Amino acid sequence: MPPRIVKAIIKGVFYFALLYALPMFFASRVSEFAPDLVARYTQLLALFTTVVIFFVVAAELASGTIFRHGFNIGKAIFVLIFFVITLDRALIEMTLDLEGTSVGVSADLRIFLIFLIAIDLLALAKNTLQAVDFMSERIEQQLPTPEPVE
Amino acid sequence: MKQAIRALGWAIYIFWIILLFFIVTAVYSAFQFTPGFGDLSYTNVSNGSLVVSLPFSIKNGGLYDVSDLQLATLIKDGQGLRISNSTTLVPRIPRGNNVSATHTMSISFSQLASDTLSHVLFDDEALDVEFALRLSYASAVPFRISGNFSLPWGAPLSGLAIGDVSSLPYNATHRRAAVPVSFDNHSLISLEGTMQLELVDDGGHTLSYEITALDVLPDRSYSSILELIVPVSSTIREAHLFFNTSAFNYGPVVIPVV
Repeated sequence: MPPRIVKAIIKGVFYFALLYALPMFFASRVSEFAPDLVARYTQLLALFTTVVIFFVVAAELASGTIFRHGFNIGKAIFVLIFFVITLDRALIEMTLDLEGTSVGVSADLRIFLIFLIAIDLLALAKNTLQAVDFMSERIEQQLPTPEPVE
Repeated sequence: MKQAIRALGWAIYIFWIILLFFIVTAVYSAFQFTPGFGDLSYTNVSNGSLVVSLPFSIKNGGLYDVSDLQLATLIKDGQGLRISNSTTLVPRIPRGNNVSATHTMSISFSQLASDTLSHVLFDDEALDVEFALRLSYASAVPFRISGNFSLPWGAPLSGLAIGDVSSLPYNATHRRAAVPVSFDNHSLISLEGTMQLELVDDGGHTLSYEITALDVLPDRSYSSILELIVPVSSTIREAHLFFNTSAFNYGPVVIPVV
């Protein structure tokens, strides 16, 4: 079993690639058509990725303790608040220049954000139950083992 | 407790799979959605309206239906005043289908003869057409495409002018005033009806008037000299023109007489 710190680093790199590097790769393809759109969301994405990676790495370093579940719950709450704040910005707008004519395109992506919030609520419930389950197991381990009555 | 945790875990995985599947298929389908626009055509309607037709087609090659497709246009003059607005609705475009429709924009000349828009009867200009295409993709994602383009406009009374008025003898108390009137019909409609010319003196009194028939085809000029009988001692200050055509009624157009 690799040490916890190695697993934490691997998870951190994986989440960085999934949440930042991959979206920025696709954004670089779109940026020539909608530079304002990409610039507007790059900072948000950087903030989101930084905080999520912090929680993921911290949870992995605290594995085997109650703090792991605490960090997972904190991550779920942060993601939930982030999506709720972003919900009103889920209206994506960009301006394209087609043959000298300026054309505006907008899409309402709130349905996707609502879906993400629903998934995050499930994750929050799961992390909370895991924390309760961990605490109950610890308490059961600390209770004295009943001796058979002769 | 462990079963509940496991069930929540599975639910999360299933939701993620559904969401990612929908995102991937929606993005793929969006690239298979192809709108197309034809050339503008113009039609004269007998009630004095000009109908501009814009044929368009939608090819939905994606995996989801498109619903509530609405094309709305707003025509404004060079000063931003509203001339006409129109909406075309296509309730549903099933996946894999092509739909063709024609969006019509009607410009009423009788409406143009109102005070705020009357300059459009005399000035050639480029009208501004704002369009907005709204649709709902997979009944879940609303899209909106908007923009604007110019619509060339030819005025029916372009360059309306009165030339130098000349006096010709008539009798001892009256003289004949020869008034040249000219304009160019740059519009797409025929001007059929009458034109009334009134000559007005310094005190605002009508000295004389003449009604003449009008029949000016599109892209044709009108030029005529109207002769009116006015008192010898009168001073002609203004000419008032009244147009009564099948397309619009407008007047008076007040032109100072030199």
